[in-house]
Amino acid sequence: MLLTALFVCAARGEFDERLRTCGGCHGADGNSAMAGVPSLAGQPRVFLEHYLVMTREGIRGSELMQQLLKGVTDREIAAIAQHYAALAPRNEPGPLDSALFERGKKIAQASRCGTCHAPDYRGREQMPRLAGQREDFLVEAMRAYRENRRRGGDTIMAASLYGMSESDLKALAHYFAHFK
Amino acid sequence: MKRAASTLSAALALAFTAPIALSQDKPKPPPAWWQGKPEAMKDSPLAPHPGKMTETPAAEIPIDKIKLPKGFKVEIWAAGLPGGRAMAFGDSGKKVYVGTRLIGRVYEVTDHGDKRTVRIVADKLTQPAGVAFHKGSLYVFAIDKVLRFDGIEDRPDVAPVDLTDKFALPPEQHHNWKYIAFGPDGKLYVPFGAPCNICEPPKEYAQLRRYNPDGSGMEVIATGIRNTVGFDWHPKTGKLWFTDHGRDWMGENAPEDELNVLAKEGAFFGFPYCHAKGVPDADIKKPDPCKGVTLPIATMGPHAAVMGIKFYTGTMFPKEYQGAAFIARKGSWNRTELFGFDVVTVKASPDGKNVKIAPFMTGFLEDAKARKFWGRPAYIAQMKDGSLLVSDEQMGAIYRVTYQKK
Repeated sequence: MLLTALFVCAARGEFDERLRTCGGCHGADGNSAMAGVPSLAGQPRVFLEHYLVMTREGIRGSELMQQLLKGVTDREIAAIAQHYAALAPRNEPGPLDSALFERGKKIAQASRCGTCHAPDYRGREQMPRLAGQREDFLVEAMRAYRENRRRGGDTIMAASLYGMSESDLKALAHYFAHFK
Repeated sequence: MKRAASTLSAALALAFTAPIALSQDKPKPPPAWWQGKPEAMKDSPLAPHPGKMTETPAAEIPIDKIKLPKGFKVEIWAAGLPGGRAMAFGDSGKKVYVGTRLIGRVYEVTDHGDKRTVRIVADKLTQPAGVAFHKGSLYVFAIDKVLRFDGIEDRPDVAPVDLTDKFALPPEQHHNWKYIAFGPDGKLYVPFGAPCNICEPPKEYAQLRRYNPDGSGMEVIATGIRNTVGFDWHPKTGKLWFTDHGRDWMGENAPEDELNVLAKEGAFFGFPYCHAKGVPDADIKKPDPCKGVTLPIATMGPHAAVMGIKFYTGTMFPKEYQGAAFIARKGSWNRTELFGFDVVTVKASPDGKNVKIAPFMTGFLEDAKARKFWGRPAYIAQMKDGSLLVSDEQMGAIYRVTYQKK
């Protein structure tokens, strides 16, 4: 009994340590203040699980994330995903450019982004939350999808962004970052 | 990808004449997930179900919910294979190789009699769904790679031979994850799905091919096949029977998935003009769309995601099951109420007539209206003792079904 309790405590300690590592870049409450680093708070649990497993496997994500996830078990990944899915997203984007926002809105509607990412862009299941995500991260992620530089996702996002211009992507990112 | 996308664009230009008005040079090809989605359904939230990427321990699999006909029993044979689907037995009968899609792994399950162990034999591949075993070698087909592991049953660390160039795989990814199998003729059968929901497929796609094991001697043996990921050869006639997924966004109940027989090589099975038992396509139209089309011997239900098929050649199961085909239906996403999520038996005369379909393994679907399910049966393999293995892609597990006379 005592042994079990000790074991649980040790595991809890390790898990907290793991979360501190994540929080170092993604923000202690899962809302990132670091340029180019995505917020995790309020992301769908399934999306986080898929992302973390595939990155650990070396199929998607950055080299850095792959290094950080080396040896992390499925059970820990499930716990990390659950943790960040339950945190509240804080929407603190920079100044609003209403013309750009409106243009982004039009493109998002014409491109039917809400079909998968949900009409309020909170994401669902394997599809990430876009609302309130960092604008710089969104632009770069979409660029990488469009140019087929983003490893491991299936081809859905590349096909969805095919042919969009740089200014289309910037408008979309601005719209999602400011979406409330 | 640029190149691939433009090919698709050209192929689709005729069928879809309403490009999205954005600032761009070329008309945009609709992405596969909305091809053929009618304007009236543009806000439909239906989307493919997510898989589960993490291990599910055996204790967390609700095996008691599975229902079978009287006298049959089911047990968890192996667990801890996230995404595991098609299964291929090694020559010894002690090892089963299991392919996956997104997680990029191929597993080896070793049977120790009282228990099974699982290890990863290949990883970091792009949807290595195709696995087959032939003369001591494991063949693995990812979307963009073909690998052969010689003598892998005895040499666990054998480096694979890369056969990718020999098979000349075309570049499109959509519907090009594979099911593969060696036929009674010793040749390797490989499908190339339509790279879209609905389109005039480029010439390398929507077909079934046959190769020598080394990739030489390629022949296209059937065309007009949207996406087959399951086939087997009839034990009496030696003819190839294959399942095929119907298109999305043409209605809740149509077109149904198919069960086909390749009675004559070179046959055309209708995609993209004619679906199921003669349903003309809603988007790609031509006069007499079903003329010259080989129709299925049976339809298998709307959006059912009909997967693996295995003719039962054992004697453990009662007489009425001997010679029947077992077919797994992974279950629908493109209809409001869920359908499928089961294994059915198909009994028919050897020429494919007098088809009778009956449920065999059910209970994975908990509430069709609420879209609630826990498991997705995908493939079936037969053990030497006549019991059946059924893979569950959602739980990352393999179940074993046995029969005992009372």
